Amino acid sequence: MSTAHPAASSARVAVVTGAGLAVPGLTLPDELLGTVREGGFDPATGLVGRDLRHKDRASRLALRATAPALRAAGLFDGDRYTGSGDTTAVVVSTNVGILENVCSFADTIARDTVLGLSPLGLPQTSSNVIAGSVAMAHGLRGPNVTLCNGPTSGLDALYWARALIVTGRADTAVVIGVEPAGDIVTKLLGTPALDGAVALVLESADRATERGAEIRATVAGCAREADLAGAVARAGGLTPDLWLTEAADDPAGPPAGSVLDPAAGLGAASGALGVLQAAAAVAHLDTHGGHTVLATCGGPEGDGVAAVFLTGPDHTP
Amino acid sequence: MTWDITGMGAVACNGTTPSEVFDALCAGRDGRGPLQVFDHEKYRARNAYEITDRALPGVDEPGRATRWLVDAIDQALTDAGHPRDLTDVPVLVGTTLQEQRSAELWWRHGAALDPADLHFGTALREEYGAARTYTFANACAAGLYALAMATDLIELGEADTVVVAGTDAIGESAFGTLDRVQNDVPDALRPFDRSHRGMLMGEGAVAVVLTRAAAPGRPVHARLRGVGVNCDAQHSTAPDPEGITRVLRDAYRLAGAAPEEIDLVMLHGSGTPKNDSTEATVLSRIFPPGSGPLMTAVKSMTGHTLGGSGLLSLTTAVLALQRGQVPPVLGLTDPIEEAAGLRLVREHAATAPELTLAQVDAFGFGGINAAAILEAAR
Repeated sequence: MSTAHPAASSARVAVVTGAGLAVPGLTLPDELLGTVREGGFDPATGLVGRDLRHKDRASRLALRATAPALRAAGLFDGDRYTGSGDTTAVVVSTNVGILENVCSFADTIARDTVLGLSPLGLPQTSSNVIAGSVAMAHGLRGPNVTLCNGPTSGLDALYWARALIVTGRADTAVVIGVEPAGDIVTKLLGTPALDGAVALVLESADRATERGAEIRATVAGCAREADLAGAVARAGGLTPDLWLTEAADDPAGPPAGSVLDPAAGLGAASGALGVLQAAAAVAHLDTHGGHTVLATCGGPEGDGVAAVFLTGPDHTP
Repeated sequence: MTWDITGMGAVACNGTTPSEVFDALCAGRDGRGPLQVFDHEKYRARNAYEITDRALPGVDEPGRATRWLVDAIDQALTDAGHPRDLTDVPVLVGTTLQEQRSAELWWRHGAALDPADLHFGTALREEYGAARTYTFANACAAGLYALAMATDLIELGEADTVVVAGTDAIGESAFGTLDRVQNDVPDALRPFDRSHRGMLMGEGAVAVVLTRAAAPGRPVHARLRGVGVNCDAQHSTAPDPEGITRVLRDAYRLAGAAPEEIDLVMLHGSGTPKNDSTEATVLSRIFPPGSGPLMTAVKSMTGHTLGGSGLLSLTTAVLALQRGQVPPVLGLTDPIEEAAGLRLVREHAATAPELTLAQVDAFGFGGINAAAILEAAR
């Protein structure tokens, strides 16, 4: 009998070759670290166009983050995806991506019966509408995964994207963290929410090298555990130069050269948080190629903590 | 590589354990009934395959999908002889709607809702001390997607044992938009029959315990040979024969199995004309007409249980392999043309003592597809 995944090998490593944002006021990931530019993404003007017609807001945001990430990875010529669609996965993290749809559709039924609903809304009742929209837009026919996993969801998406690559289910994975804002979301979260998306392109190191892509970071370790110390240890226990976290005051936190919350000021990032942190890590490693960055999400009072280590292209163990 | 299934649990509209559901299926007993809590005046469809467990008739409750999930996992752990402690055991939950119904009850009727209740990790932490929990909202392929990813975790050395589950409760927005788009109004889910008029939702949860190799002396229900997953990337609701063909070929490759070795196919069979004709066409090309594997479709009696539906087909397949019995497709009297060459089980359960390999299909919105290959443990 054959092995489950003949292509799988412990030597397979997942690397990051692209990052893109659709976050209000921002243009490039280094702005998550404090770089200031004029302009930036404006949802009022950036979420229109024929390609977005009949799409839900979360899908629109995701598509607007995916294109620059693919372009940065050298996998998008402005018209079409230039990688292998059959071996490219999509992994989306979102917690409240369709909440507005669900609640407003229930309102419509109560008011106008089901005949008041738009038939085009059917896919928007399932959270995987976002990953499906991205797959269709770019012809990505590999595994298509949607994580709705609470505070750790964004880093959990990286965990699974890496797993898909290491096991050989995919050679490339587009990882997206997205949360659309709205009155219903704000009411549930009790605080203003992020209205944006961030996308990363992960690849097997072999595939990236083969096509001459710039490797901007290596996903050196991922884990999810009950608490911070456990998650950091399971992810590899490296010593980070930079720790990206919402929980900088956690006494169980690792010693790090510096600590930063790249999502501060953006609103509750929820399922997009971990991917935002990873994009910030990539921006940091663009200028500090020998560094190690740790990203963590969640807390021991919730479901648990996710941790991801990313290392720069010049990192030496 | 194969993986052992050592524990199973399930709750659906026609049974409270995998065995009960299987017996009901073999007896041709469905769980269809009038909508229990939705205002009938607001919908065209008036029936669903709901679980009848609400404390007050006609009054809905939040948290039912989570409740069934815990019930199914409890059953599966007991069945596997595993303690009720999942501190070191990953739990992968596939779902279409998460706790969407709870969100509707919060928004429409003021029920309490914490954002932490939308996914299932919170409850699993409280019930089992589980820390490595993942909610995959992978539409109606979610349960088998979770199963595929569980095999990956074991192969990667991340775990020796994984609990894989699926759960869904019917929500108004999903039921309503489906009702809005279906051309005809189905009063029952009748897959592959010319009378099929569309899909009706069902409720339920399923869980299996998957392990690298069962402990010596522990019974093994069946061996998982491989699970393929992919995406059509074609259409948000209409299935694509090319994508389905590709996922089946991938499942055979991963399982090291040829199509001619398959003895039983658990069809996705959602009862929508487009899904039924596409699935039947693809299988007709893969299997020889009239002499291919036996086939059945449990949604004819459970309704479409959405995220858990692939796993419900899987547990049914396991019991079919064990008992040499295949439930019929309820209501199938006049198969659609595309299914003419398929050996669909009709009217009564089939007796088939030598079943060895089973294929399980699950296809979902967004064009996401999954297929699993199971082997009898003898």
